[in-house]
Amino acid sequence: MSAERWKDDEALLEDLRKGAPGAVAELFRLYQGKIFNLAMSILKNESDAEEATQDVFMTVIRKVGTFQGNSAFYSWIYRICVNTCLMRLRGKRRSETVSIEEFMPVFTDEGMHASPMDDWSKEVERDALNEELGRMIRKFTEELSEKYRVVFVLSDVEGLSNEETAKVLGLTIPAIKSRLHRARLYLREQLSRYLREGKAE
Amino acid sequence: MLADYCNGSMDPRLREELDEHLSRCEPCMAFTKTFRATCEETRKLREAIEYAIPDEVRKRLDLFVRSAALKYPEKVKEYRDQVERDRREKVTDLVGAAAAGQLSSAAALLMESHCAACPECSGYIDAFRNTGTPRGGDPPAGIRSHLIALMQALPPGEEFFLA
Repeated sequence: MSAERWKDDEALLEDLRKGAPGAVAELFRLYQGKIFNLAMSILKNESDAEEATQDVFMTVIRKVGTFQGNSAFYSWIYRICVNTCLMRLRGKRRSETVSIEEFMPVFTDEGMHASPMDDWSKEVERDALNEELGRMIRKFTEELSEKYRVVFVLSDVEGLSNEETAKVLGLTIPAIKSRLHRARLYLREQLSRYLREGKAE
Repeated sequence: MLADYCNGSMDPRLREELDEHLSRCEPCMAFTKTFRATCEETRKLREAIEYAIPDEVRKRLDLFVRSAALKYPEKVKEYRDQVERDRREKVTDLVGAAAAGQLSSAAALLMESHCAACPECSGYIDAFRNTGTPRGGDPPAGIRSHLIALMQALPPGEEFFLA
């Protein structure tokens, strides 16, 4: 996290605690996009994400007085957001997700990769593919079950460190690493299949 | 392990061994390269992300937050008063339980080690224990803040008094 972000957060936190005018508006300006998108990636539904965002802001405003400063302000806000969203999900029918096992690498008894391996790492360096790949990564991420999706979004999309993600979710660091690794393996396999199909067409 | 390899934090000896294997094993090399490319594509996505919110949603959220902001100062005051009252009550209960020897084992341990280092708190609690009444009403602010910190150090879900 950049030093500037830190300074912004410190000043904002101070203003919020003092009840300074404009503090809430500033909080909203800095975090609305992040919170809404995080909520979207967990809830996958615009109106749910909107309501969740409202809840998150209300909670942050109400509880900022009790924020201990044990963790960074933004990770505290993320935690509130994740909890709010998961609480919402709990009341809902689970949406369709894919089984991650299907996408884990398979090895033969000799320890070799069982499926053919194409090296497409050079292909994706072409600029023309960039936008499309971004879209595909988003799409594939949405199909992940929430257990992996939340970890992946916080770490690889939001750029939180493993330690921060662990704090936000209340999980251990090894658990974060393992989920993150599996999510990345899944994504690699999905991209492989996608690029292979593209070539076959 | 792959993550360590890709971000360069792998033990150099292990790395050498892995490099040696990769140079001889085409499928593994392809796997590693594509794995790394996947991580890099995600990183690019992260840099390009602009946190777009649909305009309609932004307007509604803005309105909502504005109205929340208007009520904010009184809400904050109300809430802080409540928290302060709760804390005072809790500290009074804690001191009472300590004086009566009714602390849970975890809290007693914390209290003991704190009092050993803090004459202020140990003096206050000893006086309470000997006279049966708190000296000068509620504990002064200094002692209160020590004891609040002490309660917060308790493991979550652990009560400070004996059931």
